[in-house]
Amino acid sequence: MTQRRRHVLLYLVLAAATVLAALAGLGIGPVRLTPVDVWNALGGRGDVTAVAIMRDIRAPRVVLAGLVGAALAMSGAALQGTMRNPLAEPYLLGVSGGAAVGAVLAVAGGAPFGLVPLGAFAGAVAAVMLVLAIARAGGRRPDPRVLLMAGVVVGAFANAVIMIALASAPADSVRNALWWMMGSVAGATWGQIGWFAAYGVLSAGALLLFAPEIDVLALGDDAAAGLGVNVDRAGRRAYVIASLLAAATVAAAGLVGFVGLVVPHLVRTRAGSRHRAVIGAAGLAGATLVILADLVARTLRAPSELPLGAVTALGGVPFFLFQLRRFK
Amino acid sequence: MYHRYFRLGFAACVAFAAALVVACGDLRSRTPAVADTAAAKTIGAVTLRDDFGDTLALRALPRRIVSLNPATTELFFALGAGDRLVGRTHFDLYPTAAQAVQDLGSAIPPNVESVLGVRPDLVLLYASESNREPAGRLHAAGVPTLTLRIDHIADFRRAVGILGRVVGDTARAAVVTDSVTATLERVRVATQGKPRLTAFWKAWDSPVIAIGGGSFLSELVDIAGGKNVYGDDPRPAFDVTIEDVVRRDPDVVFAGPESGERMRAAPAWRALRAVREGRILIVDTMLVGRPGVRLGEAAVSLARLLHPGSLP
Repeated sequence: MTQRRRHVLLYLVLAAATVLAALAGLGIGPVRLTPVDVWNALGGRGDVTAVAIMRDIRAPRVVLAGLVGAALAMSGAALQGTMRNPLAEPYLLGVSGGAAVGAVLAVAGGAPFGLVPLGAFAGAVAAVMLVLAIARAGGRRPDPRVLLMAGVVVGAFANAVIMIALASAPADSVRNALWWMMGSVAGATWGQIGWFAAYGVLSAGALLLFAPEIDVLALGDDAAAGLGVNVDRAGRRAYVIASLLAAATVAAAGLVGFVGLVVPHLVRTRAGSRHRAVIGAAGLAGATLVILADLVARTLRAPSELPLGAVTALGGVPFFLFQLRRFK
Repeated sequence: MYHRYFRLGFAACVAFAAALVVACGDLRSRTPAVADTAAAKTIGAVTLRDDFGDTLALRALPRRIVSLNPATTELFFALGAGDRLVGRTHFDLYPTAAQAVQDLGSAIPPNVESVLGVRPDLVLLYASESNREPAGRLHAAGVPTLTLRIDHIADFRRAVGILGRVVGDTARAAVVTDSVTATLERVRVATQGKPRLTAFWKAWDSPVIAIGGGSFLSELVDIAGGKNVYGDDPRPAFDVTIEDVVRRDPDVVFAGPESGERMRAAPAWRALRAVREGRILIVDTMLVGRPGVRLGEAAVSLARLLHPGSLP
């Protein structure tokens, strides 16, 4: 098979998996609905309660889970290529720490709960910029290793700020912030999905556009410079776009760990070394994983929910280990 | 990197969920609370066994009491011993006079050093697992400490009996118990013939927390002529998915003013029949939030919401 045909097949399989996961997410829940009920309710026909369950509870959850999963996986795939480091992922690069600081400071400062996502996004953006500034402070062009270290340092700093804020904030607001940071798409609304989708499509499109640049960066700085790429600018651009994409997911659904780290590795073996293919495939696989994880999160411990981030890790680790074994 | 932190956070979430309605803690078997021993018969001395199984011998009536539970704080005032309080939690705002007592912050767990700082001769703690270690430290510091688990209406009656002995006024304690019991009975009788409405009690928004059968609020709903849709769950409070609430299809929803407003605004809650039909009953959270001396009053307010006109 030619590489192109292999990619088409891979995309078809991944898209089918995403559709199946979405159908499962729409069809399964505490209220039993037959496939016919589901179909009618999505079209706005039949029982009012069923229509509301489909349109205002299940469908927004499935869509937001898919978008968040796709965004995290695409962000991770781009960062791993740009940094030439398999451990690079948005959360390691300061996004999660910054978002958590933003969220906690928002509630500790008495902001209404609706402003928490905005606080998280601001925190994540600030952390991303801080990491970039630290990495550039050396005066030399930012080395991926320095960028990684700066991310870890900013993360540790963020941790300290969070602990201080939590220790001094009133109990119930702390509870809000903690719950929120554990990750969930339980509160998904169409309005939220609208702005996230707009933002996500723009960022993801930019990542796909710059993917050939990432291919060159992945060869190493010297090789990339030799091929006429402005390494400094290309690296910074990929880093900023990917991080901001991940920051938006934190604002939409809290911290959903593991997806950005592992999903790119899962698809890389089959999607080859071209980042356009890797990033796209990672997006579909990430969407599938998070939709299924949300389904498990809301059904396994009924009537309660499990934290989404915990489920993605629980489900992803065995899969990853299996993949690792095949590698040998 | 955050995993341990999150697990901790989750534990804290669960703890606070329960503290919210002062209805927390697992349902452990209750030990007989008051043990009359020979020592107790000497004048002015009281021997008590608390919910952590510690035996407490008070040689004299306590004069400097720290009450770290809103329910016991209001009870001390009802027993005419409010002037003996030298510390309370941040949430003990009833009666108004309680607000003059020094605020010692949170109670599950308390700040042991702040508590020791007001030199109490008796500390009352809520018997939650996270208070076991602070209780031990207070004992070790030589401060008599009494831990009580007050989750159900029966716990409240038991607590009144114990605190009556602690303040040396068992007669007044009997009056308090009788008055609350009589009001609850009056409400029960008034709503007896009415159709029993099923109810979902939303205690928190994110996550959505439901009141379960392990809380006195579930008992109050029963007395007021309703039936808690989560009454079959023995836990006092726990998080639930919106769709699970929809599956249980309650006739009415109980919520605080802000919580009710958020519910009306959220699209996802439109799946709930009670919300579509506008049957969100707004409760006074300060009144019904704790199993204290106003339990009767709380039952009256719920009955008036569930069955308007049933009570004068």
